[in-house]
Amino acid sequence: MLPPSLIIDNLKTYYETRSGAVRAVDGVSFQIEVGEAFGLAGESGCGKTTIALSIMRLLPRNGRIVNGKILFKGLDLTEATLREMNKIRWKRISMIFQGAMNALNPVHKVGDQIVEAIVAHDGVEKREALERAGKLMEMVGLSTDMINKYPHELSGGMKQRVIIAMALSCNPELIIADEPTTALDVIVQAQILKLIGELKAKLNLSLMLITHDLSIISELCNRVAIMYAGKIVEIGDVKNVCRGPLHPYTQGLVAAFPSVREEKRKLSYIPGSPPDLLNPPSGCRFHLRCSKAMDKCRMEEPKLAKVNNTFIACHLYD
Amino acid sequence: MISDNVIIKVEDLKKWFPIRKGVFVSLFSKKQEFIRAVDGVSFEIVKGEVFGLVGESGCGKTTVGKTILRIIEPTSGKVYFKGIDILKLSRSEIRKLRRRMQLIYQDPFESLNPRMTIYNLVGEPLSINKLVNNVDEKVEKVIKALEDVELKPPETFLDKYPHELSGGQRQRVAIARALVLQPEFIVADEPVSMLDVSIRAEILEIMLKLKEHYGISYLFITHDLALARHICDKIAIMYLGRIMEIGDVEDVMRNPMHPYTKALLDAVPDITESKLKISIKGFVPQSPINIPPGCRFHPRCLETMDLCRKEEPQLLKVNGKHYVACHLHN
Repeated sequence: MLPPSLIIDNLKTYYETRSGAVRAVDGVSFQIEVGEAFGLAGESGCGKTTIALSIMRLLPRNGRIVNGKILFKGLDLTEATLREMNKIRWKRISMIFQGAMNALNPVHKVGDQIVEAIVAHDGVEKREALERAGKLMEMVGLSTDMINKYPHELSGGMKQRVIIAMALSCNPELIIADEPTTALDVIVQAQILKLIGELKAKLNLSLMLITHDLSIISELCNRVAIMYAGKIVEIGDVKNVCRGPLHPYTQGLVAAFPSVREEKRKLSYIPGSPPDLLNPPSGCRFHLRCSKAMDKCRMEEPKLAKVNNTFIACHLYD
Repeated sequence: MISDNVIIKVEDLKKWFPIRKGVFVSLFSKKQEFIRAVDGVSFEIVKGEVFGLVGESGCGKTTVGKTILRIIEPTSGKVYFKGIDILKLSRSEIRKLRRRMQLIYQDPFESLNPRMTIYNLVGEPLSINKLVNNVDEKVEKVIKALEDVELKPPETFLDKYPHELSGGQRQRVAIARALVLQPEFIVADEPVSMLDVSIRAEILEIMLKLKEHYGISYLFITHDLALARHICDKIAIMYLGRIMEIGDVEDVMRNPMHPYTKALLDAVPDITESKLKISIKGFVPQSPINIPPGCRFHPRCLETMDLCRKEEPQLLKVNGKHYVACHLHN
């Protein structure tokens, strides 16, 4: 078996603010195998995007990796120099940012924008890059002549395909996709998910998919980590986690999810809101919203431990 | 005649937006083109019902909602609110009526003025409609509305600004703002699509509880079929300005008749099993400027027949309250 594509080991990323450090990611470990689709799920503000930005080393100025390692093919990205990062970004790890399709430059043709990415990172001739851009367009299901279109001439789904083409432009090994279908209609979303799945298989890509929508992860990923308030609470095979969740938080998330294929029912929800990460609660970070909280949960932080085939951080399973 | 328990009746509603062209183009072309956002829509909403209007972006669902409240003037058609033809009302009459018909917007981050306190936000509609005589009465009504949307304890929210609240709390303020006027009918335009899945159900539960408590009827506009199935009583599926299928939510979900409804249902990802299917042609939605002849869905339909290219299907009864506009079923 090949060594994992990416290993994240006890990562802590904090944001410095005037009132103190916001512990956005607080001790997260997981690994992504080569050719695997790994999902990272959780509510807004749970730290999913911060993990992605830590990997790409694109944190805002007040963000700091305070602890841990991010090993990509043996290289620790937390210690990589700017020059080393420039060789990795886009060429080996590329990222589809949330809402990227709306960040296409409106005054340049989409082809030129793909060419720009190729020339900047691979240093090839413009003519060759243009040819490659045409091929990429075909690969994402657009016709080659679309490279001469401006972003406003394309629909949302087509723009998202251009963004995917751009992410593939330098043959990366790992793609990080942050909410790649959030603003899209359901049919377009299904088409984009299918496309990502096909490309991943064809190019043997590793994929890290970040979304709040468990159903998308369920369609596309092999394994999933559920995050809550900067920590992973459950990690395992998608089938196990989505069909038989064990952590009370995951159970709440799954129950809150309306399925179009089940009878009308009363939807449940998780009461309260996520904690303030300036002063996270003691013990288990979820205990304030957990219906099964015990005394121990208030005092002692649970560690991820194996239950059946899933890893869970919950005292219920001690 | 409209029966007493029908709160909203819409008949052949059309809204065509004229396309403005540059000076030169309009000098040389005589034909005025239109975006046919809503192109002949009819339905009724019964008192106490949650009526779901479902479709992709650009299908005209929001335009229908806004035309019913006469925020947008329709091109033709009729809208009745409890038997009153609201398109015949004068500006001042509609303003009085609008107290009984309210709108909740999608984005609580944009729909609340960031420089107003929660007290002022919720109290403003009361002052505008002159429903309170003094400050005490206003405070009392605002507190009651905040209690109804379960912002507890309400007193602590009065002097806060929207930026101090979470997304879910903001949307509750938006609901309280509509609720404080004691409306009978609310148009809710994607009220939870900006919120996290984990708190959506909480907001929806509040909306349904208020429905029971005050007998409010809702027009629930959404693109989310799964949500519609669990929230709505009736549902209409819109495509390019027309209703393709309409009926009781369980009838439509269990037994979808229109190929478009089927395609929508197939495309919804599911949490428990991977079942995604693409049962539609192409990935470019048709433009509402050049609506295809015959059935407007035929260029994307997998079951197109000759008839579909020529003749527009009418919305016809399948059984009970289930209607579909498709030649396959006529």
